Amino acid sequence: MTVARQQQSQYLDRASSSALVDVVDLILDKGLVIDVYVRVSLVGIEILTIDARIVVASVDTYLRFAEATNRLDLARSGTETHGLPGLMDEIREGGGKKKTKGALEGVKESVSDLLRDDDDEDREPEAEERERPRRTRGSPSHRERER
Amino acid sequence: MAEDGRACYVYGVVTDDRPDESVKDLPAVGDPEAPVTLIRQGGQAAVVSEVPVDKPLGTPEDLRTHARVLDHLAAQGSPVLPFRFGTVVRDTAAVADELLAEGHDDFARGLDRLRGRTQLTVRARYDQDAVLREVVTEQPEARRLRDELRGLPEDAGYEQRLELGQLVMDSIAAKRSVDALELDRRLAPYALGSVSEEPASPEGLINASFLVADAKREAFEEAAEELAAHWHGRVRMRLLGPLAPYDFVADATLEGKEGDE
Repeated sequence: MTVARQQQSQYLDRASSSALVDVVDLILDKGLVIDVYVRVSLVGIEILTIDARIVVASVDTYLRFAEATNRLDLARSGTETHGLPGLMDEIREGGGKKKTKGALEGVKESVSDLLRDDDDEDREPEAEERERPRRTRGSPSHRERER
Repeated sequence: MAEDGRACYVYGVVTDDRPDESVKDLPAVGDPEAPVTLIRQGGQAAVVSEVPVDKPLGTPEDLRTHARVLDHLAAQGSPVLPFRFGTVVRDTAAVADELLAEGHDDFARGLDRLRGRTQLTVRARYDQDAVLREVVTEQPEARRLRDELRGLPEDAGYEQRLELGQLVMDSIAAKRSVDALELDRRLAPYALGSVSEEPASPEGLINASFLVADAKREAFEEAAEELAAHWHGRVRMRLLGPLAPYDFVADATLEGKEGDE
């Protein structure tokens, strides 16, 4: 829940969001990791998110972008949307959203499994915490991989 | 508690000055009926609820609930240290005697550094039509390929289509770098720290999180509103928050990493 302060926001969207993609981006893989405690880790999700990013730069996406660009009517300004929103929705669906959903649903680890693992787990001393900052701008490596 | 099939889901740690009512009636992860409560120890309090241990965690609703509890606490104006989704501790005794006792100094450091600060997250993406129109207008090569493909049947011109699509995506990527810098230039002056990542969707511009002092929040919001107005028609900007400091909590608890105090 976010507190939406709607004071004269004309262009900025201040609505609080419960869209899954927002929540996933905001909280997943974020927050304090307590290394001596049992935790349910959703390892599969990040892998699939990265996977979705690779899809973005795939040949298939190039083709769809080409098609969208071809359909663009330069004479008109901003009203014609034939093909485009559909394209974008499709990519979003095929990339981020669906995979994320699948990953979330695919998590089979239960709390009890992890509770059992508590004592014999190898402790990687805060490795996960220290890996930050891991984010970068741009994704040339993804594109390279597709060539 | 583990014996009866229940364990303790931990949302985060807050300062002990929070009243019990501050977590009243909040939904809980894993078990909607379970109350969210505070376990107090040494001037700090863990925000917890009971979860059944035989049920997997990680549904979309679990994620939303985790965020809802923490953002609710963040919006109340006292510091909160959000834990990673899925942190579960054996029982309430372990939360007090082990988690809070052993983590006390780290938590104290984090709570102190994050006092009076919240996270604001900007999610910006291009308007699809607008950005494609910009690319075709600015790139003669895109225009040439487009004209070339115009006369061809649907199944012809594979190479040109690839070339055009790649050119368009590369051009958007270049815009993204420029616009991300512009966003940082305009908003970073009002923030104590920022973290950004490129969104997964092809028309995404940036997801950027800022740690903002309460006293600067209004100025930050105004600057964001100005930028959204500036970009109106080509970029859609959303501002989420105030949120718990998901992107800044790890650094804030680190020893010796003093930042800008």
